[in-house]
Amino acid sequence: MLLDRKPLLSWGATLTVLALGIVVALSMVSQVWAHKVNVFAWVEGDTVFVEGYFPGGKKSQDSLVEVFNPAGTKLLEGRTNEKGEFSFKIPERTDLKIVLTSSMGHKNDFIVPASDFGGVESSPSIPAQSFAESAKHSSAHPSDLSQLEGMIDRALDRKLAPVIKLIRDTRKEGPTISEIVGGIGYIFGLFGLVMYLKSRKNRERGQRSEVRGQQNIAKQ
Amino acid sequence: MHISEGVLSAPVLVTGAALTLAGVAVGLKKMDYEKIPQVAVLTSAFFVASLIRVPVGPSAVHLVLNGLLGIILGWAAFPAILVGVALQGLLFQFGGLTTLGVNTFIMAMPAILCHYLFGRGIAYKHSGVAMVLAFACGFFAVLLSSLLLALCLIFTGESFLQAAKVLVLAHLPVMVLEGVVVAFCLAFLMKVKPELLGATHATG
Repeated sequence: MLLDRKPLLSWGATLTVLALGIVVALSMVSQVWAHKVNVFAWVEGDTVFVEGYFPGGKKSQDSLVEVFNPAGTKLLEGRTNEKGEFSFKIPERTDLKIVLTSSMGHKNDFIVPASDFGGVESSPSIPAQSFAESAKHSSAHPSDLSQLEGMIDRALDRKLAPVIKLIRDTRKEGPTISEIVGGIGYIFGLFGLVMYLKSRKNRERGQRSEVRGQQNIAKQ
Repeated sequence: MHISEGVLSAPVLVTGAALTLAGVAVGLKKMDYEKIPQVAVLTSAFFVASLIRVPVGPSAVHLVLNGLLGIILGWAAFPAILVGVALQGLLFQFGGLTTLGVNTFIMAMPAILCHYLFGRGIAYKHSGVAMVLAFACGFFAVLLSSLLLALCLIFTGESFLQAAKVLVLAHLPVMVLEGVVVAFCLAFLMKVKPELLGATHATG
């Protein structure tokens, strides 16, 4: 076994060339990444928008979207459209767990906290009070106030749209180079360790047989 | 080719983990000292191959390279794919910790099958036949993986035929591409290091 051992370096070099060749050649085919599904959801007014996509930005079309409340009850379900989007009216003002199931065993979830739904219904008592106070000083009508609130909400949604888009886009980024190179490093480190352990075992075995050989010689 | 966490039921996960454990044990036993650098390099190739996306269909598919690992490494493909899948899960969040066993088995079992189906032919036939066999090896490894994946999804309520249809159709371009990749890799290796292919049959 020791006699027919081949030079390791040239094997390693050959295979490295091979591996690098594969990677370089194929990264030209497509420079985007795969292979898990992501979910992102945001609230605009009284509607929750859900988007499913794969790293690299490809949309997860026709995927099942299920919405659960904290108790685990399914509130509603639907499927994403060709843009990977699905939207629904807020069914319940609790934390909503949005589970997206794509084909081929891909699944992920996203939680929209109740606080994202804003003050439309969760804080009616406070505006009512302040309205009562302000009503004393001005001639504002309740309808004016809710209209105002609606206007502010719409304006905020419009202003925040680019920010939300930015967040969506950053979340779409695939693995970074450092993660990839780090992973390759782990692999070589791990197999280096395996080699070290195996070589030590071989050496011990060699020593043992040597000792046995010497003992046999001594007996003779 | 990576099933996410929370899709499969416990019996499927446990079965997958047990089968992978057995495969890895055989692989480690058959892995000689001289073969370890080879296994390391091919593990790295497998690890990065999953980042190469083939844009097709409603979902995202990527290269697997399990045929290539099977043909060159034999049973050592099991530990190689386990390490690759584990790191893909840790660093890229592909698949997950609980699905590690199932995902490894889905990709490693076809690799071993292809090793036995095509290995001998590729090593000894003349180059034209070998190229065709190498293409078939890359092609069938991905096809079998897709079918195994469909089989796992039966237990989640998806019907086998429907899941298999979606998976096989989505992976069709990957199958062709892998076939070409394996054919080119083996053609290169046969010119540069023919003993690499012959050696696997002596040992595994």
